[in-house]
Amino acid sequence: MLLHETVRSAWRSLSSNRLRTGLTALGMIIGVAAVVSVLAIGEGAKASVEGRIRALGSNLLTVRPARGTGPVRTGSAATLVRSDAEAIGELSGVTAVSAENGGSAQVKYLENNLQTTIYGVSASYLDIRNLEVARGIGFTDADDRARRRVAVLGGGVARDLFGAANPLGERIQIAGQGFTVLGVLVEKGDVGWASPDDYVLVPLGVHQGSLFGQDALSTISVQVESEAVSDAVQARVETLLRLRHRIHADADDDFEVRSQTEMLETMGAITGTFTTLLGSVAAVSLFVGGIGIMNIMLVSVRERTREIGVRMAVGARRIDILLQFLVESIVVSAFGGLAGVILGTGVAIGIARLGGWETSVPTYAYALSLGVSLAIGVVFGVGPARRASRLDPVEALRHE
Amino acid sequence: MNAPPKVVQSDVAPVEVKGLTRIYHPDRPEIRVVALDGVSFRIERGDAVAIVGPSGCGKSTLLHLLGCLDRPTSGHYLLEGQDVAQLDEDDQARIRNRHIGFVFQSFNLLARSSALENVALPLLYAGVRDGEARARHALERVGLADRAHHRPNELSGGQKQRVAIARALVTEPSILLGDEPTGALDSRTGAEVLELLHRLNEEGTTLVLVTHDLQVAQEMPRVIRMLDGHVVADGPSGPIVEELLRENLQASQEGGRDAAP
Repeated sequence: MLLHETVRSAWRSLSSNRLRTGLTALGMIIGVAAVVSVLAIGEGAKASVEGRIRALGSNLLTVRPARGTGPVRTGSAATLVRSDAEAIGELSGVTAVSAENGGSAQVKYLENNLQTTIYGVSASYLDIRNLEVARGIGFTDADDRARRRVAVLGGGVARDLFGAANPLGERIQIAGQGFTVLGVLVEKGDVGWASPDDYVLVPLGVHQGSLFGQDALSTISVQVESEAVSDAVQARVETLLRLRHRIHADADDDFEVRSQTEMLETMGAITGTFTTLLGSVAAVSLFVGGIGIMNIMLVSVRERTREIGVRMAVGARRIDILLQFLVESIVVSAFGGLAGVILGTGVAIGIARLGGWETSVPTYAYALSLGVSLAIGVVFGVGPARRASRLDPVEALRHE
Repeated sequence: MNAPPKVVQSDVAPVEVKGLTRIYHPDRPEIRVVALDGVSFRIERGDAVAIVGPSGCGKSTLLHLLGCLDRPTSGHYLLEGQDVAQLDEDDQARIRNRHIGFVFQSFNLLARSSALENVALPLLYAGVRDGEARARHALERVGLADRAHHRPNELSGGQKQRVAIARALVTEPSILLGDEPTGALDSRTGAEVLELLHRLNEEGTTLVLVTHDLQVAQEMPRVIRMLDGHVVADGPSGPIVEELLRENLQASQEGGRDAAP
């Protein structure tokens, strides 16, 4: 029998019982829609995480003290010091270096106070981290060296402490010490973890001096000339620090250098894992949809036993009957898959509009869902179709 | 299994059966049934034959074997000179498609398809690309050209059976097999359908009808009477039907009710 005749006959048989066909396809529609929207959310999350990491600054290497290894995490070792940062600044391929350390303290202006993270940073920090001053100015190397008590506030901190008032030139108390506000950062809004909106930046000199009195650094941010030299610079930094820290050849580093690419990869892996996990849960509903198709096809074969007998009597071979029912189940599942892709895309757009999440349906999701729904049509349709094709024509003709 | 004789002789009959035997469950004595026991006959081109006999005499089994829906346990079935008794399923399907036209008691039309599509169905399985013209012609032969696009539920019983006959004719089969073709019709439409079958027979179609109805049998020139899996009479319909009627009369006078035709 010609294929297009088979498809036409399948279509007619399916459209003669629209409600049943619709309900059968519903399982597939929901399954595919779930998979598509989960993939869209995952893809959107990945894109937004990438955007945030890139926003941290371009061509950035981050040097941190090594985390303790072994069965118990011993926290960060206090291994990096300011002279390490200065030495790194001398390396070729490095355009700027910022030494940083954080500490939590009470910040107070008049009656308003809040507990937040106070970062002691080099003057180059703002450039390296792509932070802009909305009002006022940043501090300079001179401020740093002179250990001046000046501060740049994150947008959120400024709003919390000053409300609508102008903070520039005002004196605030940080851990009981008076600081003059030099500037306020542009508010970045919610950028996920550790938003600079909530920081107070002070020169590293005063941070290490009277404020916290710690020499150790939490981070050295290194800006490299270009992405092309990033790996080479990373190697140089590692060699330099091993030398400076007098690390024995067979000992582990007491620091770790991470490039932005690595961060992207790590975060990509994390969102990827979540997407896969959620996607697998959604895929279970595809499986259930497939079982629904199989169930209806079995009912259909039973109902149409006599028709099968008649078709055999007029010359249908077993393969013709097999194909007829197989094509029917494929048509149902492909229809369900197509409708599911449309619904899933709609859901993804809806989530983006209403929930404010970034979503984007990756192209492979379309191919994947359509491919999978076709495959489900085959896998779950072949059993009923075989049953139909194996009927004994004499018995089938007698069937009521 | 014997090799099928391929040589078509000039005197080849559309149907010739030799020692046709069909045993159900041959390996299980408690339910073993010999439905056909060495049946032999020959049907010539242009014959019109009624096969009669009481329920369980084996005439349905014979119909299924003649229609290549089943295989005999032993014996030969020469269809157009070719032994088709032990063909595999696909070849049987091909034979049914090309050489056999079935007409059933309950019409067995596809409910969702128009008359024309029902008639064209065998051509689809034959792989004929544009069978519509042939299907139309078949509908014309049964006088239903104007009902081509009606669905079965829009047709009367007699019209449905005529569509079914057109479907049986469309591949120009060697024989047209009828299984009580008038059984589901009232006597008037039954007579019309029978008249149509007569006309087709006169036009050259070889006709084999399985029936209970002695009136139908009487209308056929030749009758094969079966009993307990054997052919007990084979010849012109007049004397055989007469004898059947006499036996029936006798049985009813004796008060018996088990001597159905």
